[in-house]
This record gives sequence, C-alpha cells and structure tokens, in this order.
Amino acid sequence: MEPEQPSPDTEHESLPEETHLPSPTLYPIGFAIGIVVLLVGLIINPLLISSIGAAIAIVFAILWAREATAELRGEPVVVEPERRESRATAADPHGVTLEEVPDNAVTRSVFLEGATLGLGAAIGGLITLPVAGFAVLPGFLGQTQHKVDLGPIEKFPLGKWFISTFIVDPAEGEVSRRTVFLRNNGNVADPETKQQVPSFTIISNRCVHLGCPVQANGPIGQKYTGTASFKEHTLNGPVEFQSVIPAGYGCPCHGGQYDPEGNRIAGPPVRALDRYDFEINHGRLVLLSTYSVSKVVGTGGQAQIYKYKDVGPGEHVDGPEQFFYPINPPHH
Amino acid sequence: MAAIPKEKPSRIDQARAEFARYKADVKARGKPFYPYAMWHDTVMSFVVVCTIIGLAVIWKWSAWGPDHDPTHKGLLGPEVDPPADPGTTSFVPRPDWYFYFLFYLLRIFKWPESVFLGTVGVPTIALILLIGLPFLDRRLVRRPSARPVAMVAAVLTIVSMGVLTWKGATAKEALASEVKQSIPKWKADEHLPPAAFPGVELFASAGCTACHTYDGAGGSQLGAPDLTAIGSRNLGLQFQINHLKCPSCVNPGSPMPPFASLGDDRLKQLAIFLEASKGTH
Amino acid sequence: MATTYRRKPTKAEIRRQKMEELVMFPIDWLEERSGLIGGLKYFLFRNVPSDINWMQTLGSAALTAFLVQAITGVILAMYYVPSADINPRTGKPIAWESIVNITDHLTLGWLVRGMHRWGASVFIILMFLHMGRVFLFGAYKYPRELNWIIGVLILVNGMMEGFTGYLLPWDQTAYWATVVGINLNGTAPFLGPWLAQFLRGGQEISGETLTRFYSLHMLLIPGLIIGLITLHLYLVVRLGVTSPPWSKEAAGGEPEEEDGARLRPGLTRPVPRPSGASAMQAEPGGQE
Repeated sequence: MEPEQPSPDTEHESLPEETHLPSPTLYPIGFAIGIVVLLVGLIINPLLISSIGAAIAIVFAILWAREATAELRGEPVVVEPERRESRATAADPHGVTLEEVPDNAVTRSVFLEGATLGLGAAIGGLITLPVAGFAVLPGFLGQTQHKVDLGPIEKFPLGKWFISTFIVDPAEGEVSRRTVFLRNNGNVADPETKQQVPSFTIISNRCVHLGCPVQANGPIGQKYTGTASFKEHTLNGPVEFQSVIPAGYGCPCHGGQYDPEGNRIAGPPVRALDRYDFEINHGRLVLLSTYSVSKVVGTGGQAQIYKYKDVGPGEHVDGPEQFFYPINPPHH
Repeated sequence: MAAIPKEKPSRIDQARAEFARYKADVKARGKPFYPYAMWHDTVMSFVVVCTIIGLAVIWKWSAWGPDHDPTHKGLLGPEVDPPADPGTTSFVPRPDWYFYFLFYLLRIFKWPESVFLGTVGVPTIALILLIGLPFLDRRLVRRPSARPVAMVAAVLTIVSMGVLTWKGATAKEALASEVKQSIPKWKADEHLPPAAFPGVELFASAGCTACHTYDGAGGSQLGAPDLTAIGSRNLGLQFQINHLKCPSCVNPGSPMPPFASLGDDRLKQLAIFLEASKGTH
Repeated sequence: MATTYRRKPTKAEIRRQKMEELVMFPIDWLEERSGLIGGLKYFLFRNVPSDINWMQTLGSAALTAFLVQAITGVILAMYYVPSADINPRTGKPIAWESIVNITDHLTLGWLVRGMHRWGASVFIILMFLHMGRVFLFGAYKYPRELNWIIGVLILVNGMMEGFTGYLLPWDQTAYWATVVGINLNGTAPFLGPWLAQFLRGGQEISGETLTRFYSLHMLLIPGLIIGLITLHLYLVVRLGVTSPPWSKEAAGGEPEEEDGARLRPGLTRPVPRPSGASAMQAEPGGQE
C-alpha cells in the first residue's frame, strides 16, 4: 500500500491537534438518562415522568454544550501542573536510588498474587457449592413415607398367599409400582395388650442381594391353586392379587433362594427378604414403610422376625460385615 | 584397544537412550503418516462403519416377525422390549453383553460373606492392576518372546474373561418363567401319559427345577439328584407323596423344603408325573 | 538452485499461478492468524516407522466408532424424550414411546438407532482389541506410560457411557439392568450406599434416575471422553508410534538385555562386539 499523501486540508494547522478531541465529561451520560426517563415516562405516566425526563435532558444538554464549547468561547481550561517531589537526600543528591524492600515485605505483587488466588477460590466455591448441593442433596432430602391402601381385610382368605402389585405413590405413577407376597395369618394375640389383632405376612419381592425381582416357586393362578385371584380398587388405584402357592422364592439373576417366610436358603443374598410394616385403618390393610430382616424363626402369625432399619440390597445387617455400612443415607 | 568396563547405565537412562535412537530412526528412515499409515487407518475405519451399518440392518430385518412386530425376537434380539415394569415377577434381568463377565463373577461369589468381593473387590483390584501396569512391568524389552510373564498373564486374562463372558451369556436360572418352555420337550422325550400332564405343569412351576435337573433343564443345587429317570426306581406313588409332604422325615438330613402346602390333590398329580418319568430312552 | 534458463511464463502458466494464489489465500490467512495449518501439516506429514502393520489401525478404528456414536447420538437426542412419566393417552412411558417412534415411524430412524446401539458394542470391542495390541507391542513402557493410563481411563469411561445409555429406552432390560448396576455400587463398604443413592437420585429408581443418567450420558461422560481422547492423540503424535517389536528393522532397535547378550540393532546402531566386552562400548559415534 502506498503511504497517504498529505491532503491540502491537513497541511494548514488551523487549530492544535489536541483541541479536536472532546474533553472527557460525564454530562452526556446525564443527557442519556434524561432521554431514557422521557421515553419510559411516555409508557408509564406521560404527564409526570416524561416531564421530569425532559427537564433532566435539557439541563444536562445545556451543561454539556457549555463544556464542549468552552474553548471556543475563550474560557481557560484548568489543568493541574505536573509535580514531582524531590527524593534527593544527603547520601543520594540526585534522588535516583530505589528504596530497599525487605524480602518478606508484603509488596504489591505478593498481595495481588494472594488476592487473585483467594478471589479465584471464592469464585470456585460460589459456583460449585450450590451446583454440587443441587446435584447431590435432592436425592437425599425430602424422602417421604407413603401409605398403600390394599383394601378391606375381609377380602383376604385365611392362610392363602397372594402376589400383589400396587402403585405406592399415584402422583409418581407407574415408576413406583411394587410387588409383595402377602398372606393373611388370621388373628394373633398382641404380646403387650393381649388383644387379638390381625396378622399379615407381607414380603417385598426385591432380592436383597442386588435388587432383582424375585419370583415365587409355585403354581400361580386359580387354575392351579384353587383360590380365586381378584382385583381391588383402592385409594392407591387398582391393586392386583394373584393367588399362588409358594414353596419358596427364587431370584432369576444370581441364583438366590428363599423359603416362604423369606429366609435365605441358598445363593448370595446377604439376609432375609425385606418386609413391609402395616396398620389396619378402618378395617383396611394399609402398608407403611419397608424394614430389613436378618432371619425369621417360625411361620405365619407366630413368626419371630429379627427386624432392622431398612437398608439397601447387598448390605449385611448382622455378622461382621454389618460394620461395612456404619452410616446409611436417610431413609423414611 | 583395551576394553574399559563402564558402569551399566540406569534403566531409565537406557530407556531414554532407546527413545532417542527411536526418534532418530523415525526421522531418518520413517515414512510420512499421510498417505501410508493413514491409508491403513482409512480402510479399517471404512470396515468399521460398514460393520456398524450392517449390524443395524440385520437387527432391523431379522427382528420383524409376522405383522411387522418389533417385539419379535430375531437374530440380534427384538427391536423393542416391553416398557419398564417395576413390579414384575417374571422377568430375568441381564446387563449388556460386555458386562457379562462381571455378571457371571457375581454368580461365582455365592457365599453371602463374599458378595462385596464380586461386586466391587475383584473389579477394583483388576482396574488398579490395569492402570498400574506400566509401573509393574518396567523391563525395557518389548519383544513378546522375551516377556514370558506378560504373555502368560495376557493369555490367562483373555481366556478367563472370554470364559466368564460366555458363561454369563448362557447362564439360566431354572425359574418357572423359563422352565415352562421346556414342557413340550419333556412330554416328547419322556413319552409322558396324559395322566402325568397336570403333574408336569406343577413340576415346572413349583420351583422344583431350582434345585433338581430334569431332562437337560433346571439347576443343580444343594445336592439335589437328577429326576429324569426317578420313575424307573419304582418307589411308588405313596412314597413320592410322603416324601413331598415332608422330605426330611423320609430322608433324614435332607435340605429339601416341605411341599405339604400344595394340598393332597396336587401332590398326587406330582407323584403320578414323577413315577411316569422313566428316563428318555 | 542451479542456474536455469527459463523462457518467459506462458499465459496458461500465469493463469495457473494466479489460481493457486487464490486457493492458497484463505489457507495462508488462517495459518498467519492461528498456526493451525502448520499443525495440521505436521500431523499429516510427520514420519512414522516404516514397518508399522495393520494391527496398529485399531486405535483410529475405535476413534471412528466413537465419532459414529457421537453423531448418531446427537441426532437421536433430537427425538428422544428422557421422561419416565406415563403418557395418559397410551398408558406407556414417554421415553419408551419416543424410542418406538424413532424405530418404527421416523424415516431411517431404525438405522440411526441401530447404528448407535451396535456402534456401542463395536466401540467397546475395538477398545479392548486396541488395548490388547498395545500390550502385545509393549507400547505402554517408557515414555508411553501416561498414554496407557489415559487409555484405560477412556475404556472405563466408555463402559460407563454404555451403562448410562442402557437405561434410556426405559424398557424392562434397561430398568432391571440399572437396578442391579446401581446396587452393585451400593455394596461398596462405607461410601457405597451414598454413591448408590446419588446415582439413583433418591431411594428408588424413578424419573430422576432417568434424567440424571441422561445428563451423564449426553454431557459429562462424552465430555470426559473427548478430553481424554484429545490428550491421548496429542501424546501419540508427540511420542510417536512404536514399531512392531519383532520387526527386524524396529525403529530404535533393541534395549539392552540384562546380561548384555543378544541384541538386534537398529540401522543406526553398530553391531555390538561379542562376549567379554560390555555392549555399551559399541555406542559411540553411531548416533548423530
């Protein structure tokens, strides 16, 4: 590219170069604010706010124009003179040596390093902590207990097993569908009150090895068992009851086998099948939360259930390996 | 010239020297990556893409059964499975095939005390060994014939992972939902009379095959004997019924659970079936 | 250059030269402002040992499989809906229905979905084969130890990608394989139950688990894999690929044996003297 030839205009220096630049000033900002207030006022309240905006704009416009034309009108521009303090001393008459700074002094660079890292750490913390909390905490907090209404207890023939599937939380829908093996044990004497109370055996079908769906080993359906299967419409929606005669339960994943009370007979399951707590509410069977069981001695209403807090599959509740899981996440 | 024995350099220095020689060799005698090596890579990538597309096409065209039913189980499995049912009692869970070796490991560690070894213990140790391989094997030599330990370990690893994967693929549980499919074969093999038909259905669904094998189906647990030819021992209907009602009364020490809850009618049907099972010849 | 006598360039040659300048202009523009063209040229025209064989294509084949997964995955994500809620009109989960929609109704949807599903298996097989090849060649030794570690991490991430992706169709196989997989983590001592609950997003598998796995499958793990692959490729280019160790012309020749016995020299190393002398005496002068 060829260098620019000087044009005729720039050859004459009419005014010094510096005065072609406007002096730095804040008045344009005030003018802009005034215009904005005027426009906003047209929407909100034309009479009052626009007038205020117009007044602000006019005032700042006048100030701005006055400053911009100051040189033309001949007013002097006030500038502070440059000063330097003399650092001349007796030892150093020209003031040229630098001051000695001890090594461990908090110089500006040292301070800036620390402040940068500290502020960076603070930013990192501000971003990651809420995000991590959001990622982690919702899975642990707010776990609620759900009650499952299974219908009037008269519907359950005495001593007969049923495979029952139901929806635990209708709001969550199909994803909360669960299955239990259920038997009405009749009335037994409550150990404390000595009253006759209904007894049910309600066993969860989730294997306690790794959570696979356990199957009943036995004939299923009225054709083979002689007991009618039925459906009940409850507060939790429709609940199915299939009659079954289980000689035990087996898991299709890794070969776990259980007896009809849920005790482990063979395979890798680490304890007995989990059971559901229940209550009788207005004559209806209502399931509460699950709990874990190490073993069951005896059968039916006379069974002694060794009960533990609900833990996940694969966790031992007794024996030396129970100490592998000292702290469990909060369960309902 | 008199030989002046020098100090043998350290292993890392030898390695560095070899790498320096490698770089010089490549610079002097190497070929440019493009087009020589890149040609090989391109051919292989083409094969890979064709394989993937081929598998997708085979999956599609073999999965369509009658009436364009996508749940028809074709050569590579069905295209569509039934939607998730958290309350099922008839599904057999399996992971994707490349996890079969881990899956089978869990079936090997059958003792409840050893469960955590199969789930996290062995895989974690294997992963640590794999990551730490460059620090375990610091010998400089790379020729396979000069690395016997490495080659033997590699062969053992490949063979064991292959066997575990294959056994995971063929693992079956003898549960009612799987065993019932064998009933027609049993009827044919054993020439069962119609009187035994109710019993064979009960046998398949009552969980007997969880511990007993029968005509090639079922599992072998707790020392339970094969029942394919149990009828040829002519133990008699009453013996069978008594045994089913209370196995440990008839056979002291037997771990078989009692089946009295099935009721007399069904026990008789089972007994008829067992006595009719004279073997598959 | 030697002195050559050239006639004046013909019109055709001038035209050709102008065309070349036009074509090279954007490339030169890019190179001056970024250096990327130089980097690409270095990558393409760098030397590799002259005796590399077909086994050494497995790594780039695995990369191709990963690219197929990435591209098909992006397209599938345009139609897949990660919701475990039930569609009130059909009674089926929405995620499952979106997969059926892709497979049965959308044009070539069956092909893209099939490529993604089988591409996953091919990707994992190729990674294992590549790992086996690297092990066979001893290419995890100095200076490539870091590259081996990065490769193992890519393998683990690849398998985790398969695990998280397996849940997305929300069918029976998906649901139960994930139940078991998460509970597997839960059996780890001390932290296991917490890890399992974090993965599940609650005490039980639910819609939260599906969206969580979707986020991992689409964003976190692919990001990790892409980052690790980039590092892996950078190290491959920087450190070079090895010759097959049994090759007679192996670049770099043989390292010292423990007893200084048999050696198979590369062409730049002189043959060592027979026994009695330390093989290191043959060293000098052969290099530069």
